[in-house]
Amino acid sequence: MSPSTRSEAQQRVDDIHAFRVELARLEDEGVLQLERAQRQELTRHHDSVLDDFAVRFDIDRDTQARQLSLGMRVASFLGALALAASVFFLFYQFWGFFTETAQVATLIGASLASLGLTAWIQGRDASGYFTKLAAMVAFACFVLNLYMLGQIFNVTPSDTVLLPWATFAFLLAYRYDLRLLLAAGICCVIAWVSARVGAFGGVYWLSAGEWPEHYFPVGALLLAVPMLISHRRFAGFEAIYRVFGLLCLLVPMLILGHWGRGSHLDIDPWLIEGGYQVAGFVVSALAIWMGARRSLNDMVNTGIVFFVLLLYTKFFDWWWAIMPKWLFFLVLALSAILVLVVLRRLRGRGVPA
Amino acid sequence: MNTRTLTLALGAAIIVVANAVALGGVAWNRSGEPESRLALSQRELAKTAEWRAHHEDSGLALSLKWRIPRAGQEAYEKNGYWSYGGSPSWLDERRLAELGFDVERAKAQGAGQQPYLRKSEREVLVVLELAGAAWEQALEGARRNLADKQAALAAEPDAEQAIRAEKQARDWLEREERHNSRLFAIDAGTDLAGLRAQYPDRSRYMILTAHLRLHRSANGDEVVLGGYLNTRAGHRINVPHALRGTFAAAPVAEAYEASGAAPFGVVLAVGRRLEPWIESVVQR
Repeated sequence: MSPSTRSEAQQRVDDIHAFRVELARLEDEGVLQLERAQRQELTRHHDSVLDDFAVRFDIDRDTQARQLSLGMRVASFLGALALAASVFFLFYQFWGFFTETAQVATLIGASLASLGLTAWIQGRDASGYFTKLAAMVAFACFVLNLYMLGQIFNVTPSDTVLLPWATFAFLLAYRYDLRLLLAAGICCVIAWVSARVGAFGGVYWLSAGEWPEHYFPVGALLLAVPMLISHRRFAGFEAIYRVFGLLCLLVPMLILGHWGRGSHLDIDPWLIEGGYQVAGFVVSALAIWMGARRSLNDMVNTGIVFFVLLLYTKFFDWWWAIMPKWLFFLVLALSAILVLVVLRRLRGRGVPA
Repeated sequence: MNTRTLTLALGAAIIVVANAVALGGVAWNRSGEPESRLALSQRELAKTAEWRAHHEDSGLALSLKWRIPRAGQEAYEKNGYWSYGGSPSWLDERRLAELGFDVERAKAQGAGQQPYLRKSEREVLVVLELAGAAWEQALEGARRNLADKQAALAAEPDAEQAIRAEKQARDWLEREERHNSRLFAIDAGTDLAGLRAQYPDRSRYMILTAHLRLHRSANGDEVVLGGYLNTRAGHRINVPHALRGTFAAAPVAEAYEASGAAPFGVVLAVGRRLEPWIESVVQR
């Protein structure tokens, strides 16, 4: 079956390389010996597949290309952020010198033009790096567009603006297979849902961030997305949903575990903190368990990070003041060794870590 | 329609619809007769020091300087200062209860865990009065303060402190008469029509959206509940490009009095959505 995305093509390329290495090993060990004609046919087929993918998807053909590719990913990520910031500040530097009509025309024109530019570049950029740059600029232009309309006409701020921003980011993310834009869209959704949850509970929407519990519903929602909707065609998208979903659950739990007054619950803050500390351990342990069962590295790793964070903050609370420092750090080291042992046992059962 | 065209069409639709909604809202706000229209001056509108810090922002915005009426000694100490928010004395427990706050519940919560107080912030409407009774009261307070200080000086003509206090009181009165903002927050509510019926003069009373948050304080053993008002809408009023000339070289609010810069008049309109805009500027 012919791949439809770059990540699927890259996976096939990696499989071909692994196959070739293993075949050479089997031949050396005398386990398998292909006939000359078969070998030539196989090599010719694989080479044509690699050539085809190189043209269509700009895949990494070898390890060196893969390392360079990683560098390009980092560069395009940083470049995309910097270019978006540059567009923002460029407008800020000069917008006051234009009439309101010109300001509005520039803002709308920039949004439309950058969208068109993204589509044009995508048609010519098999690697996707330049498309990511252009798409990020298009998103920045659209954010700037609506934000500046608010400033120009003294519009009362509203959380509703997050919806078109999220929709636009999702459109670019799904159309051009861009995880950075997916993350941007998810951030907008997180902000909007938490603001609405806050407003539902009687909290003014701009103050919604002061209540960590407002992030729980959107956390659950984000975790549910990859379970309900298959993202097979979009490499890494499900992981992004899961990681953001877990962050929306575990970061508030970490905060409330040490700041009970931030809760909606009208009970003793000490009880709230204790409850959220337990909840934090339970949820992060569940994330590790579920991630391990379903071979989801992202879930396992996020769970481990928060489990260890929660554990260390508790150690600090309990022992920093009363223990000699050498003993405190020894306990930390021993707990790290314990985590290693547990993870090794999990790995021994064929579970990723 | 191929995928690329569809993406472009969808993206363009999102951009166009979002802009249409935003601009439609602006047009609706400014349509018809403004909800209020006040003739303000550099006393009530000024560039803030914050503007000077944003040297890479070529936009120009003014801040609405409004004050909280204060009584007693506080009037002399704080009355001239304008701010983005404050706790007016008229916003007492009775008024807070009328605005829908559960005063008893807020007072009953312990000093530590106060979720009701923390989530008490809500949007209300605030009435700002221009050069009305509240300003007269502030003027009267400054005059009384000067009379007190002059009497003290007459009793002890050589006392250094009395001389200094009399000079401060004279300066204070002058500032109150010529420089301080005459815009005072005098009432709040949730019903625009009701507030407008109570304050029908649209050239003297401006109604803006504000945010009100409860706060507790202690008066001896007694817990007292108050409200903190804050008008986000007045923080930053953009100056239209055509009117920039008057303000571009104007000093910031804190330096206006000492600079001797020419005074100006601004007609500020507030529309259907209670969003303000600058209609015209007169250099005096």
